[in-house]
Amino acid sequence: MKRWASVFLMLLLSVSLLVAGCSQSASKTGGAAEGEKSAGAGDGKPVEIDFWYALGGKNGKKIEEMVQKFNETHKDIVVKPAYQGDYYQNHAKVLSAITAGNQPDVTMVEAGVVGTFANAKALEDLGPYAKEMETKYIPGLMGNSYWKDKLYAVPFNRSTPLLYVNKDKLKEAGLDPAGPKTWDELIEYSRKLTKKEGDKTKTYGFSTPIDIWFYEALVFQNGGSILSEDGKQLAINNEAGKAPIKLWTSMVKEGIMKNPPGEKYNAWDVAKQDFLNGQVAMIFTSTGDLQALESNAKFDVGTAFLPAGKTYGAPTGGANLVVLAKSSDAKKKAAWEFIQWMTDTPQTIDWSLASGYMPATTEAVESKQMQDVYKERPNLKVAVDQLEYAKARPMVPGYKELQEVIMAELQRAMLGQATPDEAIAAVEKKAEKILKK
Amino acid sequence: MQNEAVAKPEIEMLESAHAQAWPQQKPAWGRWETIRPYAYVTPALLFFALFFFYPIGYVMYLSFHDWSLLNLEAKEWVGFANFTELFQEQDFYQVVINTGLFTVLTVALGIGLAFLLALWLNRKAKIYGIIQGTIFSPHIISLVSVSMLWMWMMDPQYGLLNAVLEALGLPAYTWLSDTKSALLSLVLVSVWKVVGYNTIVFIAGLQSIPRDIYEAAELDRSSRIKTLYKITVPMLSPTIFFLLVINTISSFQVFDTIAIMTQGGPVSSTNMLVYYIYEQGMDFFNGGIASAASVILLGLVGLLTLVHFAFMSRRVHYR
Repeated sequence: MKRWASVFLMLLLSVSLLVAGCSQSASKTGGAAEGEKSAGAGDGKPVEIDFWYALGGKNGKKIEEMVQKFNETHKDIVVKPAYQGDYYQNHAKVLSAITAGNQPDVTMVEAGVVGTFANAKALEDLGPYAKEMETKYIPGLMGNSYWKDKLYAVPFNRSTPLLYVNKDKLKEAGLDPAGPKTWDELIEYSRKLTKKEGDKTKTYGFSTPIDIWFYEALVFQNGGSILSEDGKQLAINNEAGKAPIKLWTSMVKEGIMKNPPGEKYNAWDVAKQDFLNGQVAMIFTSTGDLQALESNAKFDVGTAFLPAGKTYGAPTGGANLVVLAKSSDAKKKAAWEFIQWMTDTPQTIDWSLASGYMPATTEAVESKQMQDVYKERPNLKVAVDQLEYAKARPMVPGYKELQEVIMAELQRAMLGQATPDEAIAAVEKKAEKILKK
Repeated sequence: MQNEAVAKPEIEMLESAHAQAWPQQKPAWGRWETIRPYAYVTPALLFFALFFFYPIGYVMYLSFHDWSLLNLEAKEWVGFANFTELFQEQDFYQVVINTGLFTVLTVALGIGLAFLLALWLNRKAKIYGIIQGTIFSPHIISLVSVSMLWMWMMDPQYGLLNAVLEALGLPAYTWLSDTKSALLSLVLVSVWKVVGYNTIVFIAGLQSIPRDIYEAAELDRSSRIKTLYKITVPMLSPTIFFLLVINTISSFQVFDTIAIMTQGGPVSSTNMLVYYIYEQGMDFFNGGIASAASVILLGLVGLLTLVHFAFMSRRVHYR
C-alpha cells in the first residue's frame, strides 16, 4: 500500500513540475511578444543563439559589451556569448561540441583553420545569406574567408604582425625611433640596443615568439611561400625557408635576441611582458596587442612594418566569424544577422578603436572618424597600411598539424639541437604524409 | 530503482518469516535468492555500461577507422592502419618513453619521500600535526592553479626559484625552457602535489600497526633499522601496494600540468600519452589516430596494473 502511495506522489510531483515548466515558458513567450517591435521572427519568440569567442582580457570584455548592445537593439534575437579560452582551445571545444550535438551557432575561427572546418562541412555556406554584400569587407582580409570558392567566414578581429619598438630606448641609443626597415638594420639596431652588465644581459635588442605566424612573415619577405600554390607540396626547402631560421639563430647566438621561453601563447605573453618591463627593446607581436601595450607601457610605444627581407611581407591573422552548419535554419538566419552587425562599419570602427585590430570594412577605413584617429594615433594605421604587402595564411586541412611540426623544428633549431638544414629536412619528411590528408 | 529500494525491507521480512514457517517452500524463494543480487547491482551495472563499457568499446571501434572529429559521417574502415602508423611514428615512441620516465620518477619519488616524511611525522606533538596539514594542502588545490603557480616560480627570468638560486650564488636553471630539464620540472611539480596525500595514507598505515609487535621487537633488542625492515615495511605493504597502483595510474594519465605548463614542448620533450591523444584528436583532427593511441594507453595501464597485482600481491601482507 505504501508503495502505491509513493508512486502516486511521484507522479503527482512530476505532473506538477511539467505544468509549472509549461506555464513558465508560456509567460516568457508572452513577455517577449509584448516588447517585440522590430522586424523579425513572426511568432514573436526571440531566437536564442550561442556565440563562442576566444579573446580574454580587455578585448573579451569589449566583445561582451558589443553583444549586449546587439541584444538591446535586436529584440527578436538573444545572443549568449561565452568565452572559451584561446583560439586553439576554442577550436577543440567547438569540435567536441559538434560531436556531442550541442555546438554553438556562431564562433570565432582562426583564419588559417577556416579551410579545415569548411572542408569537413562543419560550416554553413554564407553565400546565399550575403548575396554579394561581402564586397564591403577589405579585400586583403578576405583571403581566409573562402574555401573552394564558397564564402564561409567574415573577417572580425583581423590582424597582422607588427614590429613594436620602445621609442625611448631607440632615441637613447641614437637610432631612428621609426624602427629598423630591413633585416640588416634589425640586426644593427639590436646590437646597439643590447645592454649587458657583467655576463648578464639587462636589455635584449629584440625578441619574438618562435611562432609559425612570424616564420610565415619572414618567408614571405624573402619571396617564398610555405606551400606550393595547390597546397599539396611543402615549399620551404630553399633559401627563403631557411633564411628566417638562420637570422633568428644567429641573433640568439650573438646574444642580441631573446628566445622567449614557454609554449605557444605562453611565449607571446613572455615577449610582451619583457617589452613592457624594458627588458627587450623591440618585439614582434600582433596588431591586436596595440591597445594593451600602449596603455600599460611606461614609455613611448611605436609600431612599424616588419623589417623587409627582399620585400616587406606579412601574413594576415586573427579570427573570422563563422556560422555552424548543424544549427537550425532560424538560428542560422539570426546568426547571420548577428555576424553582419558585428562586422558592420559602425561596430567595426568601435571594435578597432577599442582593441587595435583592423577594421573589417573598406568604408570604415575610409571613414572620417577613422582617418581622424589615424592622424592622432599613427600606430593604429600601420597595420592597415601593411595590408598592401600581406598574404593570406595557408589554409589546407592538414596545415594545423603541419604548423605544429614546423614550430617544433624551429624550436629545435633555436635550442641548437638542429641546423637550419636539418630542421627543414625533418619538416619535409613529415609534411608529405600530413598534406596527403 | 525506486521501487526496489522500497521493496527491499519488506521482502527480507517476508523471506525470513517464510523460511521459518514453511521450510519446504524454499525452492521458489531460492530462485529469487539467486536473482536478487543481480537485481540489486543492475542499476550500478547499467551506469557502468553506459559510461564505461560503451565508451571503451566505441573507442576500440573508432581506432579501426579513419575518422575526424569534424566530419562524423565519413568513417572509413582501415583495419590496423592507425596502429601501424603510430608504431612507425618516432614521435610516438618518444611520447611513450616520456610517459614511462615520468611515471617511474614520480611514483618512486612520490612514495619514497612520503614514506620518509611519514616516519618523521608519525608523532603526537602539535607541531607535527601542523606540518602534516601543510604538506597535505597541495592535494586539495586544483591542479590548474598548481600549474600556474609553478609556471611563475619556474620562470627563468622573474621566477622565484631562479631568484633563490641566484641568491645562493648558484647558476640559474633552465626549468621548462630546455628539452633536458622540462620533464624533470614536471616531475617536481607532480611529486610536490602528490607527496602530502601519500604521507597521510602512510601515517594512517603506521598507526594501524599494533604496538605490541614493536614492544616484542624491543624486547628482542632488534636494531631500529632491522625493525623498520622486518616489521614496519611488511606491515605497511598493503598501503605501499595501494599507493603504487593509484600513483602509477594517475601519473600515466597526466594532462593538466602539461596542457598548462609546457603543451608538450619544448620540441615534444614533455609530450605524454594523454596529451598526445588530445593533440591528435582535438588539435590535428585525427580522430582515428587518437582513438588508437587511447586503446594503447588503456592496454598499457591495464598491463601495468596486472603486473602490479601479479608480482606485488604475493608480497603484500594483509592482516
